[in-house]
Amino acid sequence: MKNSVRELREARAWSQGELAERLDVSRQTVNAIETGKYDPSLPLAFRIAKLFRLSIESIFEPGKD
Amino acid sequence: MSRYTEKQYRRHMFLIMAVYVALMLLEWPQVRSVSSLPWKIALALAPPIPIIIVIWLMARRVMHSDELEQRLHLTALSVATGMICSLSLVGGFLSAAGVLALDGDILIWIAPVLSIIYGVTHLWLGRRYGNTGCS
Repeated sequence: MKNSVRELREARAWSQGELAERLDVSRQTVNAIETGKYDPSLPLAFRIAKLFRLSIESIFEPGKD
Repeated sequence: MSRYTEKQYRRHMFLIMAVYVALMLLEWPQVRSVSSLPWKIALALAPPIPIIIVIWLMARRVMHSDELEQRLHLTALSVATGMICSLSLVGGFLSAAGVLALDGDILIWIAPVLSIIYGVTHLWLGRRYGNTGCS
């Protein structure tokens, strides 16, 4: 699954640590989501969408599989 | 609720393990020479106490983890449990068949070996997900 979390975070000049704190997750989790190594659960995806005031589908898009 | 960070966990773990090492160095050598049974039981049960506290710290760490961290903990614990179960089954059957002579002291090694396999697996998984060692 592809996502635009890194672009959205950088647009707000937040560090990974700051975003992690706002989402109440670890910096490792933010990094894994941004690099596409980990797809967040639905509740976490909703938290991300709410934080950026966007819809989930505008942040996350399904991959080829 | 604030997160129980890896840094806090490691600090607490270090303190408890220092107590454990001190007990093993100072108290454990006396256990076989003591003649009083209640005193012998007390000395024998002292070292497991810090280890039980460490298990509680690990549980606390997992409970305060986010979803990815919990996945890593669960996977590492599953690998460690699976390996310990396999090793103990192989050793147990060989011992029951009289091929291998094992005594009860080997039970002491279950917790450390499980912890080592768990730690190594967790570290490897963490690196796969881009962990740099701080959270």
